Amino acid sequence: MTQTPAAPGPDDGRVGVTIDGREVRVPKGTLVLDAATELGIHIPIYCAHAKLDPVAVCRMCLVHIEKFPKPQPACATTVAEGMVVTTNNAEVTKLREGVLEFLLVNHPLDCPVCDRGGECDLQDFTFRYGPGTSRFPITEKVHFAKALPLSQHIELDQERCILCWRCVRYYDEITGEKEIVLQQRGVQTLVTTFNGEQLKSNFQGNLPEVCPVGALTHREYRFRARPWELQRAPSVCPECSYGCNINADSRDFEIKRFASRDNPLVDDMWLCDRGRYSFPQWNTSERVRRPQLRPRGGEQRDVTAVEAISAAARELRAVVDQHGSGAVGVLGSALNTNEELWLLGRLARDVIGTPHIDHQLEPFEKLDPAEHALGIADIEECDALVVLGAEPEAEAPVLTLRLFKAERKRGARVHRLDHGADPSRIASAVRGAKTIGVIADETNRAHAARVAAAITGGAVRRLTVTRGVNGRGAKDMGVLPGLAAGYRSAPSGKHGREILEAAASGALRALLILGPNPALETAGDVLQRALARADSVVVIDSRPGVCAGAATVLIPGHAFFEKHGTVTNLEGRVQRIRPALPPATPTPTETRVLSSLAAELGARDWDRGEPSAVNRALRAALAPYAAAGNGGRATWVAEAVA
Amino acid sequence: MSLSAATRAEIETARERYPQARSAILPALWAVQHEVGHLSPDGMEEVARILHVTASEVEAVSTFYSMYFQKPHGRHEVIVCINVSCALRGADDIVAHLERSLGCESGSTTADGEFTWSSTVECLGACGGAPAMQLDHRFVENLTPESVDATLAAARASSPHATTGPGDAVGAEPAAASSGERRRGAPAGGRTRPRRRTKPEASDG
Ligand code: SF4
Ligand code: SF4
Ligand code: FES
Ligand code: FES
Repeated sequence: MTQTPAAPGPDDGRVGVTIDGREVRVPKGTLVLDAATELGIHIPIYCAHAKLDPVAVCRMCLVHIEKFPKPQPACATTVAEGMVVTTNNAEVTKLREGVLEFLLVNHPLDCPVCDRGGECDLQDFTFRYGPGTSRFPITEKVHFAKALPLSQHIELDQERCILCWRCVRYYDEITGEKEIVLQQRGVQTLVTTFNGEQLKSNFQGNLPEVCPVGALTHREYRFRARPWELQRAPSVCPECSYGCNINADSRDFEIKRFASRDNPLVDDMWLCDRGRYSFPQWNTSERVRRPQLRPRGGEQRDVTAVEAISAAARELRAVVDQHGSGAVGVLGSALNTNEELWLLGRLARDVIGTPHIDHQLEPFEKLDPAEHALGIADIEECDALVVLGAEPEAEAPVLTLRLFKAERKRGARVHRLDHGADPSRIASAVRGAKTIGVIADETNRAHAARVAAAITGGAVRRLTVTRGVNGRGAKDMGVLPGLAAGYRSAPSGKHGREILEAAASGALRALLILGPNPALETAGDVLQRALARADSVVVIDSRPGVCAGAATVLIPGHAFFEKHGTVTNLEGRVQRIRPALPPATPTPTETRVLSSLAAELGARDWDRGEPSAVNRALRAALAPYAAAGNGGRATWVAEAVA
Repeated sequence: MSLSAATRAEIETARERYPQARSAILPALWAVQHEVGHLSPDGMEEVARILHVTASEVEAVSTFYSMYFQKPHGRHEVIVCINVSCALRGADDIVAHLERSLGCESGSTTADGEFTWSSTVECLGACGGAPAMQLDHRFVENLTPESVDATLAAARASSPHATTGPGDAVGAEPAAASSGERRRGAPAGGRTRPRRRTKPEASDG
């Protein structure tokens, strides 16, 4: 087939190329590989990777380009005006067959027992582009070590490695830790670590995803499932406020792994090991399964959800009638969805009428809209970055990779300082930078504000690293004393620790707790005393813990991976979570339980509380959430937060 | 273990010589090998510290090149070429002879610790004198079983391995004498291109 070059177009920074007879205009500097992808033309690749710089070592992507004397690697050749590329002629087919045959010379063909079988690029491309037969005897392969543990998480099979360098470049370009290298050369080349030492990185779990074959595998996932048996639920990592996008892959009603789901604005496809390997906790059989009434001094009995909700309403109404609405304390959690928290806030303030509502133990002073102005992706646009203390990166580990990207791609300077570091010293350290980011955790918000104020001569933006996957959403939804949804001022109330103390001293008589709330359990002894002293403890929780154990009315909740909803990350990005597991209890969802409870307590205008309807309602009420939609950022302006 | 002050100084000098410290890995490894006799993990870690690179990178480089030793080595090193020209001129016999006279397989060290030898190298670039081998970075050419024996005997009596390198000290003429011997990289005519290891400013002779 002879092709004609595309006619030159207007000078708009784009160039026209013809690939397999089809024309496309792409920005200058685009790789042939990406231009082909734009046309829906598949070019097989091994060493190339969307997040890594090209190295062109595997030669899988060779294509024919007119006027070039030899085939060119599509992954490392940039387009030029009038370029004519062929990916589907006999020459390219022969090259692909050759490369594949070569890669398979010493490949162990473990596919039937390889974790990667079914989602392996070597298997897939061999099937699609391979020669079908090999001229090399299957018996005389060069063998290397198999099932070599590189750490508690990662296992290496050196024979399966196709030497694409991706793992090495990942450590080079993405984390900067350079833990993995290729040693030796020629046919003896192998992937390994220095002196066979174990990996130390906090980001090892990305290696098996970067590896195109089954050479690097997750030890926690080995032999647990085949890819085609997995159910995939696109959701959000529940471990911290960064909000990395994940696929929760399950089989037989168990989550088998968290896989990354690239969101360039948030995770950039990388997960931290804390998040990635946190999945087993969601497979626990230790669950609250049945609604129960456990009246103080009475017999504990199983009831239906409807009965439990009525009993909860009765108990709460009794306390309000006797001691006033201010005798009820309400506690949400950073693990709840926005929909649940929105209803919880309204239930507390509008229906029960108590100002004592919170989701964390510590007091929160009013939101400064500036503290979330710096988005995650904006970090890459900063010349200088100030990180106060180790907490931000300890809380949200993937942040470290974004900081490294800013350093590597933009030459940004990252100043990791003590929380207490003197603002004027910081200001002089970043002098000359045009765009500056200041990042701190919640306990250092005030100091971060002082630092930002001290910096002159550059545009300063701040980012506060909130705690818990939906800690930011809990605040936006008004599960805070003195601040209703949207940070509208409300009658002042007690913060989390004060609520517990007041309940322990008898000043509060009833607690309504929407769990699970790991933060609450760090309160220690005061939690036990509060739970024991209150006349009524209504607990909606999925985990049998201290709170569920002390409930007078216990209503089973749904775990994070059993429900629909949205959560808001530290920069205000509102993201969907979806169920990966069937519910462990037939009880209605938390949003419906809260709606029924409100109805029992006399609320008239509440609907049934389906998560999607609640989401519509909260968006109608909160303009930033309406603007954010699904996946956008909810940002608050200064006037709204008066 | 820590390296001697002289070796450390040598590595630091090498570091200053390149725009990127990483480029100094090769000379740094030579320095370690000359002091220790091989590249121990400790030695490589120390190189990594001085050059501000990771130990993995250092080890990766060291394994790529066959003239860096990962394990303790004999006092002398013998490598025998088995590539085409040498093979045609009887390299196989030389290899078999070495195996017999040294009493150990290619790739290993003699029991007395005198020689480490291998026959897995490709063309040494001494085809004109095939069959050829290299003793402590010096070529020995036109080998016969007898000349091999003589070379080995002379080496046994000579100074240790650590005095030679790819650019060995000027004037240190080899103790092992054999008719076909010349420096590696030198033309057969005998003109030598000695290089100093530690004084890069001294230009070639
Ligand atoms: S281990 Fe995987 S990622 Fe690393 S070089 Fe081998 S094939 Fe590539
Ligand atoms: S940074 Fe946070 S959200 Fe991302 S993977 Fe780690 S724990 Fe999960
Ligand atoms: S993908 Fe292009 S050379 Fe490897
Ligand atoms: S073939 Fe032996 S030196 Fe070239």
